Amino acid sequence: MTFNYKTLALSVTAITAIGVAGLALAEYPEDTITYIIPFDPGGESDVTARFQEPVLEEVLGVSVNVTHRPGGGGAVAWSEFQNSAEPDGYEIIGVNIPHIIGQPIQRNDAGYTTDDWRIVTFFHSTPNALIVSDDSPYDTLEDLIEDAKENPEAITLGGSGTYSANHLDMLRFEQEADIDLTYIPFSGTGPLKGALEGGHIAGIFNYTMLGTEMADSVKVLAVAAEERVKALPDAPTFKEQGYDIVGGAYRGVAVPKDTPDDVVATLEEAFAEANRQITERQEPLGFVMEYITGDEVDEVMAMLREAYGPILEEAE
Amino acid sequence: MILRLNTDIASGVLGLVFGAVLWFPRGDIGRLSIIFPRAILLILALISIALIVKGFIKPSGRQIEITGSPRRLATVMIGFFVWWGVVEILGFLLTTLIAFFSLTWYLARVETAVTWQRMLKWTPVILVLVGVFYLTFTEVLNVRLPSGMFF
Amino acid sequence: MDMLLEALTSLLTFESMLTVLIGVSAGLFIGAMPGLTATMALAMLLPFTFSMEALQGLIALGAVYMGSIYGGAFTAILINTPGTPSSIATTFDGYPMARQGRAYEALAAATIASVVGGIVGVIFLLILAPPLARLAVAFGPSEMFWVAMLGLTLVASLSSDSLLKGLLGGCIGILLSTIGVSPVGGESRFTFGYPPLQGGIELIVALIGLFVIPELLTMSAEGRGALPDGGELRKKEVSIAKIARRIFSKPANLIRSCLIGQVIAIIPGAGGNVTSLVAYNEARRFSKEPKSFGKGNVDGVVASESSNNVMVAGSMVPLLTLGIPGAPPDAIILGVLLMHGLRPGLDLFTQSGVLTNGFILSMGLAALMLLPVGLLGGRVIHRVVIRTPYYFLVPSIAMVTILGTFALRNSMLDVGIMLLLGTAGYFLRLIGIQAAPIVLGLILGGIAEQGYVQTLMAAVVDPIPWLRLVRNPLSMVLAGLVVLGAATALVPMWLARKGLLDKVDDNDSGGSS
Repeated sequence: MTFNYKTLALSVTAITAIGVAGLALAEYPEDTITYIIPFDPGGESDVTARFQEPVLEEVLGVSVNVTHRPGGGGAVAWSEFQNSAEPDGYEIIGVNIPHIIGQPIQRNDAGYTTDDWRIVTFFHSTPNALIVSDDSPYDTLEDLIEDAKENPEAITLGGSGTYSANHLDMLRFEQEADIDLTYIPFSGTGPLKGALEGGHIAGIFNYTMLGTEMADSVKVLAVAAEERVKALPDAPTFKEQGYDIVGGAYRGVAVPKDTPDDVVATLEEAFAEANRQITERQEPLGFVMEYITGDEVDEVMAMLREAYGPILEEAE
Repeated sequence: MILRLNTDIASGVLGLVFGAVLWFPRGDIGRLSIIFPRAILLILALISIALIVKGFIKPSGRQIEITGSPRRLATVMIGFFVWWGVVEILGFLLTTLIAFFSLTWYLARVETAVTWQRMLKWTPVILVLVGVFYLTFTEVLNVRLPSGMFF
Repeated sequence: MDMLLEALTSLLTFESMLTVLIGVSAGLFIGAMPGLTATMALAMLLPFTFSMEALQGLIALGAVYMGSIYGGAFTAILINTPGTPSSIATTFDGYPMARQGRAYEALAAATIASVVGGIVGVIFLLILAPPLARLAVAFGPSEMFWVAMLGLTLVASLSSDSLLKGLLGGCIGILLSTIGVSPVGGESRFTFGYPPLQGGIELIVALIGLFVIPELLTMSAEGRGALPDGGELRKKEVSIAKIARRIFSKPANLIRSCLIGQVIAIIPGAGGNVTSLVAYNEARRFSKEPKSFGKGNVDGVVASESSNNVMVAGSMVPLLTLGIPGAPPDAIILGVLLMHGLRPGLDLFTQSGVLTNGFILSMGLAALMLLPVGLLGGRVIHRVVIRTPYYFLVPSIAMVTILGTFALRNSMLDVGIMLLLGTAGYFLRLIGIQAAPIVLGLILGGIAEQGYVQTLMAAVVDPIPWLRLVRNPLSMVLAGLVVLGAATALVPMWLARKGLLDKVDDNDSGGSS
């Protein structure tokens, strides 16, 4: 048998060509997708991802691995993702507003920027809510505002995190109502519940979920949503009471910037389907299901950036 | 190996150096974020100075003892860091196989010379050990280990 | 009562038993691996529980939780490496025992203590949940500050030779905990302009580094294994019954440790990381022979392991009654409860009482299951550690350490930090700064900072803000305890230096049993 380098070279070229063509033609997805959660296991982002995982696997026909990369309130994972993820749709990452708006403004070394990726969809939001305990002297939002006018800074409201959705919307509320409150950041909803139950703070400015979880022992004075939240039909919105505050945390997923459009479309569809299948389980908890994709993503981002940007710049 | 060293002064100096490393490049940090670390840094500095003073007046330990072979200590110490550094290049599996083999060979030489036959005997053991852990983490626990340039 | 019986019958099925057995064994394996935590074990189990009935899912979670907290004791005793942060205190006496060839005695004592602790926790949960929950919420920011301070008084007893060096280690630990994003201010600090450092230094990363790496380096330098070769299983000399008799004949230590475990478990945020350290410290304080602690006193192992297993069920008190997770793994159990439409609160004990009681009882069952699984598993692992030549043991432990550290946050940087801290830890140990105070500082630094700054923020309207730290009765009591704790640790030291306590010292140094 004669060994011919030319033949070898030719066949290698041919095989490579077929391979490349095959790659280009193959339907996405055909490999395991890694879904990075930039927070600790057990948090809301994580639990939602665990809900979505089986549906995504069913719709996409490949396995979806949820992995955690916590640190720096999400910043560690986001900066790593923007620096190193391949734009092929096999690596997707959970993103949260307002974290991705606030951190790059607020920190010198967040390591990522608000826009350097493509956000596939925001699949749900959790509106902010102002919650006080059952035995609180405040029965309505007006009670609280009146007291705050008489005793500036004396009312302490707990929330989770600094310059988080809770904090920023509380600052907006202060501006709108022209009052001075004192915000105290906690490291999550667990300690927050304890602080409210134990009377260490006058109220909490947190998400609607807490209102449903603690329904037996709290009063929800106002919800920062356009309309009343299904899980809390009796809680009025800020808007109803004359304060234009709509805001909260939005959760979604992003892919690297140059990811092909059809890949993004496939993912959009898969997440929308996941949303439809888990609505029944998530809505009673206080989540608001969203189907924000494409241009709407930019609109939401712009709206919230406008609302939070000035407050953040001022804080700088 | 026994080294002469005033441990009180050494730990005092170390505390001051550690504090300085954190304090000087700190940049611009808001009041709420610096108030607590600043207090602790102050306490650290006071304790360090107290230790240095004590080291001059009434030193407790004047010598330290490194048990075993200092050369092996240094080699293994550096070896761990090389292991860590190479993982990103060669991937976890390959690096760990190489590191495991080298470390076993290096440490086993303490007792007797290592013959080729012995190395051959180790091969399956090491392959199985590394393989089992690799598969447990990647397949069962779904951890994405660094893959490096080959696989 | 009916509900309890009904719950018990629903538990005594083959399926439930099997779930508990598998859960405990899996948890034990994960807990014994440095870097794999109980929280991670539960998170990984989460998708499987989706397909299970609510009760079976909760049983599985409870069993894994119980197993993994106990599993940490294995590596703590055998290779001086706490598998989970809650077994740090187990290393203090467990490893010296193992070095003396009493590893099996230590393992058996840890197992018995864990079983007792687990069951005590379940009993507390069953009968005292509502009143205990009210105590739990009494801990606000200022109280948390004092809890952290109380924990820091342990430095005095953890630093064997020099108090100043112990304090220095504690400060270094606290400062390490401040690297990254500040818990209250929200800014990143001490990151040297390097974005990945925003993640800070994870406690477990530091723990693995400071405990494992120096041990590995020493083993390599000396060319020896973790345990002396002569140390056979020695079960001829010490039977399990004998160990059990020894533990139960002096129940004060066990009772005290369980109570401490329960009280600390319900404080949200302190969690099991601190329970075992406090229990260990008190065991030593009340012991007739405090000098023997740290040199292989079985009471130290018992105190640490009983208190941390009380925590498993104990931390469910605020969780089930108020929805407040007492320890990180509880957050996942809360998620599962909510997913099945079970809202924490008193309804949980009445309307869905069968389910809740079933869950609680299953944790008791899991605790019982630790006895056979632990004694059997302990013997196997012990044999493996002894029989493996050191030149296999060192690379194996190093590999597991690297894997575990990486898996914690999928971060190679964490592995680097772990190696760096470990190498530094080796030299620090040489000059008399031990790992324990540093780790203690890391655990408590964040809690102290948060409590302190939150209290001051709430006090903006007060004329003298810091007075708020001692405004509530509970915070005053805690502050008093801090002073008392510091005094009982410092005064004997001072007296000893003055030569007033010489006689007592002579008596003390006599005795390890």
